[in-house]
Amino acid sequence: MTRKEKYVPSATESTFLATVTNGKYDRDIITGLKKFFEGNVPQDMQGFYSEEELAAILELDGTERDLQARMPVKITRHYFERAKTSKAIQTLVKASPKETYDLDGAEDPGKQMTYSPVEGLIHKYELGLIYVAATCSAHCRFCYREELIAKKDITREDGTVAPKGLAQIKDIVDYITEHNRLVKENDGRHPETSREFLREILMSGGDPMVLGNKNIAQWLSALAQAGIENIRIGTKELAFYPKRFDETFFSMLDAFHEAYPRTNLRMMVHFNHPDEFLLTDPDGDYIPHPNGGLEWVPETRTAIQEFGRRPWINIDNQSPIIAGINDDADALRIMQRELKRNGVENHYFFCGRDIVGHKAFNVPIERAWSILNESQKGLSGVEAHARLSITHYKGKTEVAAVTNTPFPGVKGGENGVVIFKLLRSAADAPDRCKVTIVGRNEEAIWFSGYDDRVILDEAELYAMYDIPTLNAIAAE
Amino acid sequence: MPLRQNRCINREFEDIKLTYIVTDNCILCKYTDCIDECPVDCFYEGPNFLVIHPDECIDCDACVDACPANAIFSEDNLPDEKKEFLLLNEQLSLIWPQITDTKEPLPDAEKWDGVSGKLQYLTKTSLET
Repeated sequence: MTRKEKYVPSATESTFLATVTNGKYDRDIITGLKKFFEGNVPQDMQGFYSEEELAAILELDGTERDLQARMPVKITRHYFERAKTSKAIQTLVKASPKETYDLDGAEDPGKQMTYSPVEGLIHKYELGLIYVAATCSAHCRFCYREELIAKKDITREDGTVAPKGLAQIKDIVDYITEHNRLVKENDGRHPETSREFLREILMSGGDPMVLGNKNIAQWLSALAQAGIENIRIGTKELAFYPKRFDETFFSMLDAFHEAYPRTNLRMMVHFNHPDEFLLTDPDGDYIPHPNGGLEWVPETRTAIQEFGRRPWINIDNQSPIIAGINDDADALRIMQRELKRNGVENHYFFCGRDIVGHKAFNVPIERAWSILNESQKGLSGVEAHARLSITHYKGKTEVAAVTNTPFPGVKGGENGVVIFKLLRSAADAPDRCKVTIVGRNEEAIWFSGYDDRVILDEAELYAMYDIPTLNAIAAE
Repeated sequence: MPLRQNRCINREFEDIKLTYIVTDNCILCKYTDCIDECPVDCFYEGPNFLVIHPDECIDCDACVDACPANAIFSEDNLPDEKKEFLLLNEQLSLIWPQITDTKEPLPDAEKWDGVSGKLQYLTKTSLET
């Protein structure tokens, strides 16, 4: 095995890193279904999968519909405790044969790998995304990072196989430095992509919070030293194992802030359902706190409050809307309200991507819009910031509106139209805020469901695939 | 660090929840390539062997392919004749020091790589520091 050239930290980084200690964590993870098949799990977990469920899953083992090959099964003790009384969480974390009934879908739906200039880095938008860990404490069945978590090869559009390994600090720092050097020399715009300075990096994976403090600290300080102003950490650990956010972690963050006071941290957290963070009574109802709001899982709330004490840290929640998990306006309303009350901004809700097996998880686009819209009725303006986003190859696209007013003369128009608005596009976002309008199709779970009913395509979501508008077809 | 309850009550192999295990072919080789790959530094080092701490391992699978001696197995793939390493990993990780950086393999690593019956050479005493 060849040794890679190691990154050499600066004096400021070294001084900071010397203060960091790793905490000790017992996540009590159960990986794989074999232990469930053999009854080799703790007593209280024995019934988590019924015998019928296990038999149905076992039948698919080794076939092309193998559930564990699609996505390894993994759960923490903490998440199991939440799942015991929650159908939503069980659907999120338990393998089910319906995942592979229909294998239609794409391995790399956002074509992210096309934007990977360096192993472990995706540079599609203005920010860079790096893969720093190839696992999470538990696995969401709807995860779209199959290539990384389940270790699959992804073939790029040009036929090459994308490196799917993790980012290395030296490679990433070299890339940022070179990118920003070119931008600086070219009056603030990259000579090829017209991007501005790379100011923001999202640490993702997998979940960066499975890494030890020292490892996270090396990334934070190296990125800050390279001039990154905002570092995001994308994590579901607040749901899977909130005790990870312990004193040693916050001490590390405080020491980091002392060393790099101008660098902000943006925690991009991932709650899908209030059952992940709210306590319930024996009837399964959330428990009102006598002084307002609802009762939280104590360790989750403590972690969020610790972040909140640090003004240089923001917390934003993002969640897909997934069938059987959170396609429920009441649950989403409670989640948005409680998160905002406790200092977590509601950022995006997503339509599920068209990953392999997506038909088991995805909610039709128009229904997802209607659920979110319904959930935001009764929320105050600041509680209802979240938008519904669907990730087109061109960029993050908002499902801005679904009308019920007929738009006669076009396919699907008898029921109304759907308005997509491109929120971000690749490189320097040339097409930001352009719209595409299509006739309705209540079954559509992806853009392709509207291929035959494009009314207006300013954003060129369809034109880029040579799919014409209805007017263009009529003119021929 | 408290052991899990089920381990204290019943120390049969089947009751140990350990998912990745270093086995005999690491003995007398100790290449340490796994150390670079492990995202959580859950390896512990003895004089001529490495072990994985069962509570700290996050089951990411990265070390399996990294090991030049193919000594690391997930519990589900652990051959029956290597089952005793379940207990050895658990016990030794509690007494040995953590290792966080790769180092040179042991001097005769190549010679010992693949030799069977190396368990008899395992030194369980703590590494002298």
